[in-house]
Amino acid sequence: MRYYLFIFCLFCSGLVLAQDKSITGTIKANDDGSVLPGVSILVKGTTTGTTSNADGTYQINAGANATLVYSFVGMHTKEIVVGNLSVIDVSLMSNLQELSEVVVTGYAVQKRTEFTGSASTIKGKGISERPVQSFGQGLTGQAAGVNITQPNGLLNNPPVIRVRGLSSLTLSSFPLVVVDGIPITADNVSDNAATNNPLGDINPADIESIDILKDAASSAIYGSRAAAGVLLITTKRGKTGNAKVSIDSWAGISNAVRIPEVLNAQQYMDHKNGAIANALALNPNAVGAANRDSQNRSFLPSYNADGTMIDTDWADFIYRTAFSQNHNVSLTGGSEKTSYYFSAGLTDQDGFLKANSFQRRSARLNMDHKATKWLRLSFNINYNNSMNKAPASGSNPGGAFGSSGLGRLAMAQIPNLPPYNEDGSYNLENNTIGRKNNLLPAQFSNPATLIDLDKNTSENNRLISNLGAEFTLMPGLTFKTTYSWDRRNTEEIRFWNPYNGDGFSYQGDAYNRFQRADNWNWINTLAYNKSFGKHNVGVVLGTDAQKRRTTNWGAQRQGLADYFFTDFQGNFGTNLAAGNGITQVSYLAYLGSVSYNYSGKYFLSANYRRDGNSALSEDNRWGNFGGVSAGWTISEEDFFKSSNLNDVVSSLRLKASWGRVGNGNVSNAYGSYSTFGSSLYGAAPTLAFNQAGNKDLKWETSEQTNIGLDVSFLNDRITLEANYYNKNIDNLILDVPQPPSKGIPENRILANVGSMYNRGVELGITAVPVNKGNFSWTTNLNFATNKNMVTSLVNDNTPILTNTSGLEATNITKVGYSAAQIYGVVTSGVNPANGRRIFNRKDGTQVQYMHLGGANAWTTLDGKAASSASNQQQILGNTLPTWFGGFNNTLKYGNFDLGLNFTFSGGNYIYNGSRAGLLDQRVWNNSVEVLNAWKTEGQQTNIPKAIYGDNISNGSAFLISENVEKGDFLRLQTATLGYRFPASAFGKTGITGLRIYASVNNAFLWTKYSGVDPEISTNGDSNLASGIERNSIPQARAFTFGLNLSF
Amino acid sequence: MNIIFKEIGRTKISAVALAMLMSISSCKESFLEAVPETNISDVSAFDTPARVLSQVNGIYGSVKNGNFLGGRYPIYNDIRAEEFVNRTTNNVTGYATYQGNQDPGDTYIGNFWTQGYLTINRINLFLEGLAANSSKVDATLATQYSGEVKFIRALTYFSLVQIFAKPYVLDKAGPGLPLRLKGEVSTANSELKRSTVAEVYDQILKDLNEAEAALPDDYSTPLLRTTRAHKNTAIALKTRVLLAKGDFAGVITEGNKIVSATAPFKSSTRVPHALQADVVSVFRAPYTSTESILSFPMADTNSPGTQNQLGYYFNMGNLEYYLNNSGSGILASTKWPASDDRRSKMISQDPKIGFYPTKFSNVSPFLDYVPNIRYAEVLLNVAEAEAEAGSTARAQALLEAVRNRSDASYKFGTLDKAGLIDAILLERRIELLAEGFRSNDVLRRGQPLNSFGAGALIQPTAANYIYGIPLTEQQTNPGL
Repeated sequence: MRYYLFIFCLFCSGLVLAQDKSITGTIKANDDGSVLPGVSILVKGTTTGTTSNADGTYQINAGANATLVYSFVGMHTKEIVVGNLSVIDVSLMSNLQELSEVVVTGYAVQKRTEFTGSASTIKGKGISERPVQSFGQGLTGQAAGVNITQPNGLLNNPPVIRVRGLSSLTLSSFPLVVVDGIPITADNVSDNAATNNPLGDINPADIESIDILKDAASSAIYGSRAAAGVLLITTKRGKTGNAKVSIDSWAGISNAVRIPEVLNAQQYMDHKNGAIANALALNPNAVGAANRDSQNRSFLPSYNADGTMIDTDWADFIYRTAFSQNHNVSLTGGSEKTSYYFSAGLTDQDGFLKANSFQRRSARLNMDHKATKWLRLSFNINYNNSMNKAPASGSNPGGAFGSSGLGRLAMAQIPNLPPYNEDGSYNLENNTIGRKNNLLPAQFSNPATLIDLDKNTSENNRLISNLGAEFTLMPGLTFKTTYSWDRRNTEEIRFWNPYNGDGFSYQGDAYNRFQRADNWNWINTLAYNKSFGKHNVGVVLGTDAQKRRTTNWGAQRQGLADYFFTDFQGNFGTNLAAGNGITQVSYLAYLGSVSYNYSGKYFLSANYRRDGNSALSEDNRWGNFGGVSAGWTISEEDFFKSSNLNDVVSSLRLKASWGRVGNGNVSNAYGSYSTFGSSLYGAAPTLAFNQAGNKDLKWETSEQTNIGLDVSFLNDRITLEANYYNKNIDNLILDVPQPPSKGIPENRILANVGSMYNRGVELGITAVPVNKGNFSWTTNLNFATNKNMVTSLVNDNTPILTNTSGLEATNITKVGYSAAQIYGVVTSGVNPANGRRIFNRKDGTQVQYMHLGGANAWTTLDGKAASSASNQQQILGNTLPTWFGGFNNTLKYGNFDLGLNFTFSGGNYIYNGSRAGLLDQRVWNNSVEVLNAWKTEGQQTNIPKAIYGDNISNGSAFLISENVEKGDFLRLQTATLGYRFPASAFGKTGITGLRIYASVNNAFLWTKYSGVDPEISTNGDSNLASGIERNSIPQARAFTFGLNLSF
Repeated sequence: MNIIFKEIGRTKISAVALAMLMSISSCKESFLEAVPETNISDVSAFDTPARVLSQVNGIYGSVKNGNFLGGRYPIYNDIRAEEFVNRTTNNVTGYATYQGNQDPGDTYIGNFWTQGYLTINRINLFLEGLAANSSKVDATLATQYSGEVKFIRALTYFSLVQIFAKPYVLDKAGPGLPLRLKGEVSTANSELKRSTVAEVYDQILKDLNEAEAALPDDYSTPLLRTTRAHKNTAIALKTRVLLAKGDFAGVITEGNKIVSATAPFKSSTRVPHALQADVVSVFRAPYTSTESILSFPMADTNSPGTQNQLGYYFNMGNLEYYLNNSGSGILASTKWPASDDRRSKMISQDPKIGFYPTKFSNVSPFLDYVPNIRYAEVLLNVAEAEAEAGSTARAQALLEAVRNRSDASYKFGTLDKAGLIDAILLERRIELLAEGFRSNDVLRRGQPLNSFGAGALIQPTAANYIYGIPLTEQQTNPGL
């Protein structure tokens, strides 16, 4: 269509020269001041028009009364009255994400006006300026219905991304990530304390756009793995024109925020000695006679050489102000036939946690070449080296209870002990920090040894490349073949020092592992597009094959021959095989899609995909998926165009879709097989039944209905997109719990049982409230609701219980509730009469607990012996946010720009398990809250009487409702102030643009949640154990300064 | 020109169509075939005699797991009582159990149940598989293997029934364990009620009697006769089981098969079990003296696993627990003089922490074999039965054999029946210290458990006298 129009325009322009004058000018992008070639300039109400040249200049003839309309893909259309002007320089503002005109839909690109599914498009630009390790962290609040949580401040810890809620219980709920066509894995690949999110291998600066496919009809084309939505990453490509060099750099600092306030040395000693007195009154063995002085005190001050009392602020010792920097250079350009994008990036980020860092060096070359009229070639190659380093932080999934987790030590380490002795040596005693003058031993490691001497690294060397060819077989018919290869070699190094910490009992432990992940994907598609009058038809047929093979091998060495050695390569007494494994998964699919529209008003599309997955049983490994969608652009109807509405409403469209997709992300690649594992009994080889397979294992499927409305007002100045979705997930693949007495390995068998749904609405409003003279304000508000409900499991009476780090029962998933509810015992404060915590039994009766009370530990409130309340768990609250969104603003005044991005979320509860630990009455340090512990009869307080050793009253032994809090919050995620130097400043330097900016990340947080951060997930991406904070390090606040320079 | 282009176009179309077809047909099923490469399929697990033997060893390996008899099970039996003091207040290393606060949700107590029943299911599957594949194994070996695994099934059920059910002497008709005797591989048969304690004991003794008949007299090496079951092993375990049952005559009958009538006490049939002159040598490499009737072997490549090792709890591995040197602790007993080798050679002292046993001297990589049945225990089992219901003279002779091996000069003097029984029970505390007997020895006699951690006596009527059935079983087995 556009092509014919263009011809027609050219033809017309020759006819209407006459009384018009010549107007010239340059068109630039408001964002970065770059020149814009290819902008369409049209005299309003006529067909007269032209396009801007490669250098952004244009020339057009128009009369003084004429209005010129400047329009360009991805930019707001601008209208200017000619008047007496003869030079009109225009700067176009980029459209916010929702307005972009094309949607990448997998195997194809569609115009947004013709797209009838539900998808969000996010520009890469904003992400690359943020101090993040992977692009996913930068998507927070950017797209309606996409909820992103950063688990904690550990660098390159994979974010939790949920598109329209939880999409599975056992399988991954992380969306499928497709980079330039190839699906890549997204789980943490490290098995030591340094988290390694493989998505961190994609340099955010290379990303042009991210399309998030949300409804099933859109994602169904990715059938097998689209149940959790699809993130399509498109990297930047060259543009025709002169070579352009861009340099983007930032540097900044970050700090830990919201660190819990704990007792100082004096408060600690007073409190603990008081607790010991209370304990001894109940049990004379509570503290051994050798562990207390004549006054029954166990905690006594120690002094520095200068006579001052030792008072260590462990958070201050463990955290730091960290420096980070990031630099990226890109070169783009091209001729009519060949275009290229080349970039090189370097990021070097230190975490606020000492010894935590992330480095990435990357290079990318993307090329396109029109070899002949009928052959186009595209070629991408991307090489990265990413290095993740971290000490034991207890903040990686599974690590919460490590006695060497620095997140925990920053809170719980004893404050009257120093990290170093006076002679500079480490203060040590067996496997803990030395007790100095205290008479009771400490329980935790000395953080100094962990920071200084331990090593945990995970380093990726990765090549991602694609080679594509597109053949135009005849007009409208193209065949495209793309082969992609993603090869990741990961080297992991772990060294635990022999002095203190996890390596102590092994006298030093070194564990290295090498991982080779080979992933290839070959896609062939045949596409046909044709218009017959007002009928427009598109057909795609294709095949998609993918194979992933991961092989790991490694070794563990223990018992250092000499403590001189600090590496795997030193000499050790014991050598063990460790970390070995081979996993292979293959997928094969046949796909087809048809789309039809009539006159740009009525749209229909359908797609079908038949998918095979090697991880399912032989008889059930093929699944049929697909979707249909329809749209009606009411604003294109004559009756609409002729009505008054047309003056206000510039476009109006209704759309609906239905689709069925599968979830083939089975975590166990061999779940259908029953197997025997080989091990040793002494030196004799053994075989033992180690997996009960399920020959009936089949696809877990998700059916989703989407109903949407797109409407824009006032010449697209305000646009609104609203969607309702209903996602039903059936045949959930669950680890069906088996009674341990059956002796099934792991007490579970994978089977298709259970179902759940996600329902909600999404609203996105984008507007330009002000665009006058030098001042403009664009804003985007997105808001989504999500209701998750588990509708069936093995049976109604068999809920799924989930532990945090294998130790603490924290979550329950039960029919009739959303997944991963917090599960614990309800408590009702502290009995003012005796300072004991009151626990509610399920039958509503109340009991109270006195530590060391022997047979009378549990009593009714009137003092009669009662049984323990430890098995009286009830559901305490949902952990999945029920509403969330973002509010993004860009304000510009002259050369200044200000960005303010807010995110908000709520409706969920969080179990603040760190607080349970902070109130534990063992040797650990406590929160200052314990200063309010019950002391005298009648005292009203929420902290029970402190009895040394008490791990029950405050929820350390089993979860109590006292530590469950609401998770609602509003955060100023980023605030950025930038200044663009005027072109006149550059003279003849050749510089075409320079912008400098300063930015704050995680600037403010409004929440009533008392833990380190309401955006927390100690259990990482877990579906079944979300909403838990347990000993994780906090989040960072970062200040960065950056520049964008172009030549 | 145009024609040529069209020609090329057609060629391309054909080539492309061909390529697509190739990609479709060449893939198909073989492309989607991914079989485990580091595990062996259940269908081929009985294919060779070597694999069958590997399965037998796998069953031994299963019961010796560090979460069960190779580590935590004996450790938890010791820390529940009065002999040890906790140093680290760590729930992961038994602090709650030590304090008598253990809970049915406790992961590590749950592991006893889980690992125990995993072993039982492996045995049940093995017995069924052995019957179905009789052509693949020599008949003599098949008989021996079935005897070995039945022995382990008995050992496992006995280990579990002692901690998860009220003692036989207190409530033999009370709820015992679900008796699983069939192999399970599917989601079926989840529901199964608890058999009575007496029924569980019946099954244990049935297995042991069948094992005794099927097991070999001896093995070719000291290592094998220490780490695999033979006839005497089954007999020795029977003395333990019958003692717990209060069947003293039975203990004497079984005991007499492997204990001579008079000193020096030894087994005159099959493996020549006897006390070793130097008690320390029993716990030192190669760990395979004739005193060690059954021990679980350890190796660099087959160690008990993190926080499961005896040397981690009771020695400088991490010294989680040290000896109670006051009041009720055996170390404070005047009846255990310094002249005793077990005191002078197997107790050490850390100036800051206190006394600790060095019976298990290995720290990392913790290669001490974990003893399960020692001849000294058998002698004390028989002594106790003789004292209760037989010859007090032989009882005292057996007691003296154990004591005087370590302390030649010690004289018990004349003891009445009660005094003799007390002396035998005290001797068990000394001889079997840190070997996992203490709380089971208290419970099997129906006595209150003197918990140092709780600072109180735990009465047999109290819920925490035994472990509750693990929460995971309660939630998944409606038959309980």
